[in-house]
Amino acid sequence: MSLPEERTNLPDPYWRMFVRKDVLAGLLFIAVAVLGLWISRDYPIGTALRMGTGYVPRLLCWLLLGLGAVVLVQGLREAQGARALSSADVLALRPVVFVTASLVVFGLSIERLGLVVSILLLIGVGAVAARGLRPIETLAAALVLTVLSWGIFIVGLGLTIPVWPEW
Amino acid sequence: MELIHNLAVGFGVALTPANLFFALAGALIGTLIGVLPGIGPIATIAMLLPLTFHLEPTSGLIMLAGIFYGAQYGGSTTAILVNLPGETSSVVTCIDGHQMARQGRAGAALAVAALGSFFAGCVSTSLIATFAPPLAKVGQSFGAPEYFSLMVLGLIAAVVLAHGSVIKAIAMIVLGLLVGLVGTDGNTGGTRFTFGITELTDGIDIATLAIGVFGVGEIITNLAQPQETRGLAAKKITRLWPTREDFRRAWPAVLRGTALGSVLGVLPGGGATLSAFAAYALEKRSSRSPAEFGHGAVEGVAGPESANNAGAQTSFIPMLTLGIPGNAVMALMIGALTIHGIQPGPQIMSERPSMFWGMIASMWIGNLMLVIINLPLIGMWVQLLKLPYRFLYLAILLFCGIGVYTVSNSAAAVLLAAFFGVLGYVFTRLECEPAPMILGFVLGPLMEENLRRAMRISSGDPAIFIERPISLGLLIAALTLCVLVALPAIRSKREEAFQE
Repeated sequence: MSLPEERTNLPDPYWRMFVRKDVLAGLLFIAVAVLGLWISRDYPIGTALRMGTGYVPRLLCWLLLGLGAVVLVQGLREAQGARALSSADVLALRPVVFVTASLVVFGLSIERLGLVVSILLLIGVGAVAARGLRPIETLAAALVLTVLSWGIFIVGLGLTIPVWPEW
Repeated sequence: MELIHNLAVGFGVALTPANLFFALAGALIGTLIGVLPGIGPIATIAMLLPLTFHLEPTSGLIMLAGIFYGAQYGGSTTAILVNLPGETSSVVTCIDGHQMARQGRAGAALAVAALGSFFAGCVSTSLIATFAPPLAKVGQSFGAPEYFSLMVLGLIAAVVLAHGSVIKAIAMIVLGLLVGLVGTDGNTGGTRFTFGITELTDGIDIATLAIGVFGVGEIITNLAQPQETRGLAAKKITRLWPTREDFRRAWPAVLRGTALGSVLGVLPGGGATLSAFAAYALEKRSSRSPAEFGHGAVEGVAGPESANNAGAQTSFIPMLTLGIPGNAVMALMIGALTIHGIQPGPQIMSERPSMFWGMIASMWIGNLMLVIINLPLIGMWVQLLKLPYRFLYLAILLFCGIGVYTVSNSAAAVLLAAFFGVLGYVFTRLECEPAPMILGFVLGPLMEENLRRAMRISSGDPAIFIERPISLGLLIAALTLCVLVALPAIRSKREEAFQE
């Protein structure tokens, strides 16, 4: 899973410290908290007795900011080379991109193109995410899954999703 | 007498043909996903949440519960036969279960696991029936400050007893609480964190979040890992019935496992996995011949298998009686209730007795079905292991997509689920468990509401939380847990408990 340190091609010590899991996690929490505080800057806070829209959200953002800082410091103080992201993690972009893309395509097409076409699109794009899926297998899977979904969702549950494209 | 009357009501509900069908469907789906590595009960229940929207609430809950305990059975089957734990709760079963299988005692191991689970299921179901009503009465006497403190304790305990970094888990809870606040504030009418997107003003649906984080996120995580080879063929099972010697050694382990699992399951964060690990440690320590463990000791199968089933069942108690989810599965159950407009909490039992008791009765029936159906079907389940993940994930992906779309009828929700999927993957990579996030998400609006009410009672004085004795006690318990887990001695013990 994790490659040897020499092969990661990341010689910069600062960079290595940056890609530690706890450092990244801490930064992520801090980023979300700062974003939340910025978005909620105009939310009325109110008082403890009459809490405004922003009271609890801002409280939570500050809490998250603090927790994120603790995680970050813990990550920085960890022993050298501890639990860093490996280059294998970074190279896993293929499933991230295509799994996400398949859902986006499905979401955008289901209302206009109907269930059958959007299932085929989802399978078509989603199949690229995995290695070693042969075209014929993808086709078979698409066929089986289309019939199955039609049976479960349209016939079985009687959902009112358009099945075919609406012209 | 009241108990018998209640159970009679429950069996009346659970034995209707429709509910029997859904109990069976849940148990079978549960076993299936228990057998298949790469998809767990959380993701499955998340994907089927939208489906329950179209069912009677009772039938929906019966099916979801069946998936949860069915997965415990299925997970042990593959653990024993091919040394692959289908679920985290059956990781320890691999140790001795698979050794038994290699010695040609696979049938005995499977039978002990199934019978132990069934016994544990019976005991814990009756425990729920006995202890749920008084606990709900306690819950009903709680005011807003007590409820708030109880939720704090529940959330803290859930992460302390789970594995991984506590501080990260608490951060994930806070993140979940924040995500739960997205949408319109019911009290002031102001919108929060909607990014100007109309679809977000109603808030984020639990199905969207859960399907994204657990369903889609799990797919990405699995695909990002190098393909594992699972070419292990199972040997033919010659005899299913355990020997007299197996029985003699297994039954005390079953009793101990059931007791331990029942207790640990009630605790937030407990449930099946912790129970199984603890039971294995207990069996190993209390055994007169600990050297046998790891080489096919029948106690090492009987104890954990009974414990994980007992723990899975009793973790329903806090959810059903107090509306507090102890783990992610229970958070999704609460989500299923709210989809139907049912407010979870102590009033469920008195307001909807047929749903409450029907579900409890169905758990017992479901456990019985699992024993009867699964032992003969073991060969078929093992065949399913040959299904490669590259087919499986396409089906999961499709069900995620359709599921999200049907629950909200909006394309925006599907895009949101895709976003949460990436987020779930990133968090998994950074070793931040996403499960606490869903607990926070479910409790977020409830906590805010109770905080507001408490402040109204005290005219804005936060001291109310420490002036009320019950609330104070709950907060002290939460604080004690935090301190305990920070102590070095306890910390190393805790890590050890999840290693083994």
